[in-house]
Amino acid sequence: MKVELYNRFVTNRRNVLKGAAAVSALAATGGISALTSTPARAQSDLRAQILAIPGVDKGQPTDADWQKVGEMCLGATKENVKEGEFKGVELTFMGLNNQNVHNVLYRGLLKAWSDYTGAKISWIDLAQADYNARLQQSIATNTIDFDVVEMGAPFEGDVCGKGLASEMPDWVKKQIDMDDYVSYLKPPVGTWNGKTYRISCDGDCHNFNYRSDVFADAGLAEEWKKAGGAGEWGVPKTWQQVNAATKFLKGKKLDGQDLYGYLDPCKGWGGFGFYFLGSRATAYAKHPDDKAFLFDPDTMKPRINNPAWVRAIQDVVDCLPSEPADQLNADPGTTGFQQFLAGTGTMLSWWGDIGSNVNTNDSSVIQGKTAFDILPGSDDVYNSKTGTWDKLASGPNYAPNMAYIGWGIYVMARVDSDPVRQKAAWSLAAHLGGKDISLWSAAYPSGFQPYRQSHFDIPEWVAAGYDEKFIKSYLDSEANSYNHPNAAIEPRIPGIFQYYSVAEDELAKIYAGQATAQAGADAIAAAWEKITEQLGRDNQIKLYKASLGL
Amino acid sequence: MTTSVTANLGRDAVAGLVSAERQKSGTLVIRAASIVLAVLVVMQALNGAGILPFGFASWRPILVAYGLWGVALCIGNILRLGEAGWRALFVLPAVLFTIALVIFPTFFGLYIAFTDWNLSSATGRQFNGLANFYQLVNDPYFWNSLGNMVFYVLSVLVQYAIAFGLALLLNAEIRGRKFFRVAFLLPFMLSPVAVSWMIGKSMLEYRFGPGTRLLRALGWDNPSLLTSPWLAKTTIAAMDAWVWIPFMMILLLAGLQAMPKEVQEAAKVDGATGWQGFWQVTFPLMLPVSVTTIVLRIIFQLKLADIVINTTSGGPGGATDTVSSFIFREYKDRSNVGYGTMVAEVYLIVIIVFVALLLWSTSKFMQRHR
Repeated sequence: MKVELYNRFVTNRRNVLKGAAAVSALAATGGISALTSTPARAQSDLRAQILAIPGVDKGQPTDADWQKVGEMCLGATKENVKEGEFKGVELTFMGLNNQNVHNVLYRGLLKAWSDYTGAKISWIDLAQADYNARLQQSIATNTIDFDVVEMGAPFEGDVCGKGLASEMPDWVKKQIDMDDYVSYLKPPVGTWNGKTYRISCDGDCHNFNYRSDVFADAGLAEEWKKAGGAGEWGVPKTWQQVNAATKFLKGKKLDGQDLYGYLDPCKGWGGFGFYFLGSRATAYAKHPDDKAFLFDPDTMKPRINNPAWVRAIQDVVDCLPSEPADQLNADPGTTGFQQFLAGTGTMLSWWGDIGSNVNTNDSSVIQGKTAFDILPGSDDVYNSKTGTWDKLASGPNYAPNMAYIGWGIYVMARVDSDPVRQKAAWSLAAHLGGKDISLWSAAYPSGFQPYRQSHFDIPEWVAAGYDEKFIKSYLDSEANSYNHPNAAIEPRIPGIFQYYSVAEDELAKIYAGQATAQAGADAIAAAWEKITEQLGRDNQIKLYKASLGL
Repeated sequence: MTTSVTANLGRDAVAGLVSAERQKSGTLVIRAASIVLAVLVVMQALNGAGILPFGFASWRPILVAYGLWGVALCIGNILRLGEAGWRALFVLPAVLFTIALVIFPTFFGLYIAFTDWNLSSATGRQFNGLANFYQLVNDPYFWNSLGNMVFYVLSVLVQYAIAFGLALLLNAEIRGRKFFRVAFLLPFMLSPVAVSWMIGKSMLEYRFGPGTRLLRALGWDNPSLLTSPWLAKTTIAAMDAWVWIPFMMILLLAGLQAMPKEVQEAAKVDGATGWQGFWQVTFPLMLPVSVTTIVLRIIFQLKLADIVINTTSGGPGGATDTVSSFIFREYKDRSNVGYGTMVAEVYLIVIIVFVALLLWSTSKFMQRHR
């Protein structure tokens, strides 16, 4: 098919969908009175229209869809930038190209911005596992060759702490409506020494994804009872229950398919794999009376070999024989996209991508069979100060893992010497971190999950075609994680991924049976001490305390 | 016969054709450029050490100065030596290029190896003597990966046997010989990275891979090829073999084709069986080619990393790790440039010593069998 014919076809299809979505939005938000034209209504219509591109259960979005969404969300840019204002400006953007989203998606979303402003963009695409190294090398060798970077908050110590980022102008704060961010993404996240550097485009936490059909199955419930399982067969609320369900499901079948319980990623992922042990450990290690869970904040002495973390590691070792046979060679990408979305496994901790892919990813086979919750808790929690396991009067201890604190868009200080270039870079970042465009990113495969209060308006999602029960379950799992009083927030300290990467190597040995959980954890602690010494203990303590708000 | 004496005499004779004034200006150009370069290097070094308050923001201008010095050296030589200077142009740029990109980095790497340089460190690079070396000696990951290298190097012998068999087949008068020669060479034309994705990550994927499905159909319930240590190691070695056997095969085939047919025909006339003909005639005559092939292949094998990094990341539990993939992790994931460089430099020395010993022993072996 010729490109122009295809475009005409897609445009026509989109117009129909847009109309349908607008009608749905009207129905959902107020009937006849909605016909009154106000700016708020116009924005609501826009949000309904973009959520209908391409529409839930209508296949995975394509580049044409991304371009259309980018074009429709250009209003905020037009208020601050004249047409052609950045003609002659060329900006370099560095980001990821995972799962064919992130930078790949951004190219489409920025097409209309580029056409309108006249600025050109060149791209540096990185695989997830290469990201840390590329960024660190650029910083250390003073070869920052990008103007705008997609970066996680854990790297703020490396970038903002060294004065390499550009401070956010006030007009950008207004354009992106920063007050709309969920509480945990507000300062100090995104700031350094009181200055704001980050436009959030994602909010990260690990939530608990599970197969609702498995936990609602009467046959399994009967077998669970026969096997002497504790309590009723149902969705696990604690890690103790997750482990028991995992062991129980080994060898069981549902609709002729082999069942497996929890999926642990055992293969390293450039440091990112460590978050998955963290998700198992926070309920054991993050005490409500203590903000720290990874290091002792006064000494930077690692806690990775304390009884809480060792227990989490031992849980993985104990569950592995009940998990799929290739689990030792499964990284988080495998557990999320090749296993869980493809129908293998019943429980999984992951970022919000799983929820936004269940109904919109072509390779997903678990539509209508998935639900979500915050990460499981634990009947008891380790108290690092007293060295004892505490049972809380309030019941199990929950501590959602705010893993990575979300991707953000940062502008580098190298654009500051040229006001036009600086404005162009911030305008680009503001377009990608805009309020409306971010809703679309949260709803479709993008690599980003909901992170604004306005993302949790369930009728908007229902109008887009989501099943209310499903989307409520998903959004609640995210919102309840973000707003949890005992959330485990990752330290924003330099070199954090070095700690994680070393841990991944040792964990791989433990999982392969070459070391005990305690011996392996002790080896991780020793390696972490070495890294802290190398990076400067006093500086790390100072930054760790600051990131915990101590 | 050309000796160094006659060559010098020739150069002097050519230089004699160049006027003294021109020779002087050539010398002047070289000296002036050398002084400028030396001053810039010293200035930048002192600035880097914090002794001089001024200098360039980076060493890039020094690289440019080195390039310009190279140009000045070439021009100066032409002025000074005339025809001989022109002739030197054939070699001099390549020499300067090699110095800049091979010799200097190797020695600079030696310096880096003795520093504590973590890219995230607030204090930057600092000399730390032999600390990195002591760390290496006590590093179980290094010794584990070195132990794995013994396995991978030994697997070259298996690859050699298969490659020899294929070379013999392709040397025989078989139908479609030309087609098979090209077909068998195809895996070598593929990047090992592509092979590791196509085979390791796709065909051998536990749930959907066609390779694992075939193994299931053959009665293997859980064909998880990359999760138990020895099986994973063997699978990696097999993928590596798939890429590299064609390389060995083509070298051996060239050797077989260069072999005089009369010798084999004489053996046949004398009543030798096919097996005897191979062991008593073909194999001994092929020894020089075989040794060259194996040594070359071992050198390549010692650098094995790409397939391991892409397929297993060194796992399970370090079972498939190689020294190169370990160095890769130290650099890439941990930004630990000082220690990573120490491992790389020590491994370079290990390879040099090992290959030297290998060449020496094969040379002795060849002499004994001549």
